[in-house]
Amino acid sequence: MQRMSSQQATIQARLPFVALFLILMAAYLIVNLANFQFFPRSVRQELEKIGASITNTTLRIPAERGRIYDRDGEPLAYNLVQYRLGVSPALVSDSETLMKELAAILNIDEFELYRKITSDRVWEFVAGPISAEQGQAIAKLDSISLGLEEIPKRFYPQGELAAHVVGIVVDDGLRGALGVEGAYNDTLSGRVLDLSVSNVPFDLPQDRPAEQRGQDIVLTLDRDVQFWVESELKAAVEAYSAFRGTIIVMDPRNGDVLALANHPSIDPNSFLDIADPNLRVNPAINETYEPGSLMQVLTVAGALDKGIVSLFWTYNDRGFLEVGGRDIWNPHFQSHGTTDISSILVNSLDIGAATIALEMGTENFYSAMRAFGLGQATGVGLFAEERGELRIPGDTDWNESFLGLNSHGQSVEVTPMQMITAFSAIANDGIMRQPRIVRRVINEEGAEDARPTTIRRVISAETAEIVKDMLVHVVEDGAPEARLPGYTIAGKPGTARISTAVAFEEGSNAKILSFIGFLPADDPQAVVMIKLDRPDGDFGYEIAAPVFRRVAERLVILLEIPDDIVRSRLAAAEAEISASEG
Amino acid sequence: MSQAWIQHTFSRKRFRTRNQATALAILGVAILLILGSLYLSQVASFAITNRQIEDLIRQRDELKRQNEALIGEIAGFRTVPRLFARAEAIGFRPATNADIDYVLIDGYNPNRDRISVAANEVAAAEARAPVYDETFGSWLEQQLVLLRDQFRSFGA
Repeated sequence: MQRMSSQQATIQARLPFVALFLILMAAYLIVNLANFQFFPRSVRQELEKIGASITNTTLRIPAERGRIYDRDGEPLAYNLVQYRLGVSPALVSDSETLMKELAAILNIDEFELYRKITSDRVWEFVAGPISAEQGQAIAKLDSISLGLEEIPKRFYPQGELAAHVVGIVVDDGLRGALGVEGAYNDTLSGRVLDLSVSNVPFDLPQDRPAEQRGQDIVLTLDRDVQFWVESELKAAVEAYSAFRGTIIVMDPRNGDVLALANHPSIDPNSFLDIADPNLRVNPAINETYEPGSLMQVLTVAGALDKGIVSLFWTYNDRGFLEVGGRDIWNPHFQSHGTTDISSILVNSLDIGAATIALEMGTENFYSAMRAFGLGQATGVGLFAEERGELRIPGDTDWNESFLGLNSHGQSVEVTPMQMITAFSAIANDGIMRQPRIVRRVINEEGAEDARPTTIRRVISAETAEIVKDMLVHVVEDGAPEARLPGYTIAGKPGTARISTAVAFEEGSNAKILSFIGFLPADDPQAVVMIKLDRPDGDFGYEIAAPVFRRVAERLVILLEIPDDIVRSRLAAAEAEISASEG
Repeated sequence: MSQAWIQHTFSRKRFRTRNQATALAILGVAILLILGSLYLSQVASFAITNRQIEDLIRQRDELKRQNEALIGEIAGFRTVPRLFARAEAIGFRPATNADIDYVLIDGYNPNRDRISVAANEVAAAEARAPVYDETFGSWLEQQLVLLRDQFRSFGA
């Protein structure tokens, strides 16, 4: 009893110390636990990263690039899957069998394959890119030694059709260049994801996030119109032995580019095989040229709109004019005596255009040209669009002769897209629409339509009407090769000599022949620009106007544009419907 | 009170202490076995389900790939040059303006907008998308069914 009480006394004496020790330890643990919860964000992330590195594998998932469609939903660009095959030689159990199986699927040399399978290296590249079918056949072998890596491949089912508009992709399909692929790369490409995937079998497998995919794009292009335009352009380039050619078709009411063709063209499916760098640009927007007598229309329209000249204005054409020390001559070096404003366009008189420009003065002339969009990118939505060059007073390399030269399209650089946009403004009652190639963007949340945008009113509706009438006369009297039976056509041929840094280039085909026209003249639904570089021929009305007519013949069928008689009957019927509804 | 408790704790009743310890150990092991088997069955259920989900994802990706390939094949068949050549081969030729008659229909306005195929595709895809309607009750029921199926499969 005595012993027990002494033991009890000892325990009682030590118990508080033990309890205190336990309490302190518990408090230490609690404090540490709490402290762990309140680690700085960076430390916590680092710890999580260390944890994830043990249990997770990081997969780089390329985003599926958005598709490109024409205006009717026909695919112009979409994606295929290809694979790259590798092998871990150390994991191969039966080299001979694997070699035979792979050789049968890949159709490659067995000896080379055997050398790779039995290599000393940790990882050996075997073949790639290989087709999806071959990839699936290899996956079915179920060999742990083989590794298949997905490679996205862009495919253009229409081949050369609209190649410069659709564009191409480079860097293993990750970056767009040229055309819509280049201009809308951010929209199409989506996001490349580094997805951390858990190796723990009872962790939920992660699916690819839907928002990763690129957005689809619907173009304004009409595939059928594009095909016919390309066919006609190819025939024209070959018939006139031209260096190359461009045709653009635009709806002036909304700025939609219905077709844009260049010849020679490219096959975007084998873009890397193209050696000629000239083919890797779109001459319709990436290159500039001197437009020649097409500019006379803009000069006349600007002068009429600013009230500098009227319909009754005339001048005495003596066949020669000196402006700022430079001589200006008419085609064929003819003089025309007293000439009215309409005859300037019909006979393509450079002296008449220069005389009008002199009457306008530099301020009025250049403000009119700027209003028509010269020297500014149109913003059509294609890759690396050129601005062109319109030198104005105050620029170091401008001199007084430029006023006379610019009035008929010399010493000024434009793109074909700028010229057709300017003519579209005249066709659209003086209102310039933003040319556009993208009609709609489709993402996970739905479709977003690109609305037609008005850039500005360039000339008044009255002036536009007068110029349209003049252009009808131009076709009737000056370029009958462009006439289309049953339809009233408005248009203007253009002839521009190619100039070098010091003078005009010599040679029978050192010129660019063009024609811009629209139809029907009273209610324009399509503006067409034909441009042929270095053809065998002298004038735009001889060479480019017949090409315009052939394109117009197809357009009225494809765009369902009835002839003048039917349209007038239709207008009467519509007026009747409106009257009965109203 | 505390003295009685200490006395009770250090009293030398060996036989009773061993009995209690054995009973406690058996109870502990039994509880551990029950918890372990529940845990393992749950983990196995997760692993099987995840494997199934992975298979479904793989199947879906493969179907998507096949679908893309089919779209490409169809697009290839529908290229204008091919359609043109095929139409010519069976005796068609491009229409000229002279071949076309416009017929005016009383009360009909032909100036209508075209409907885009692409927009229709999106609308159809939205309509096909399933709606998430799972409740806690249905989830619990599903888990019970899964558990029951597992026990049955163990028995089999």
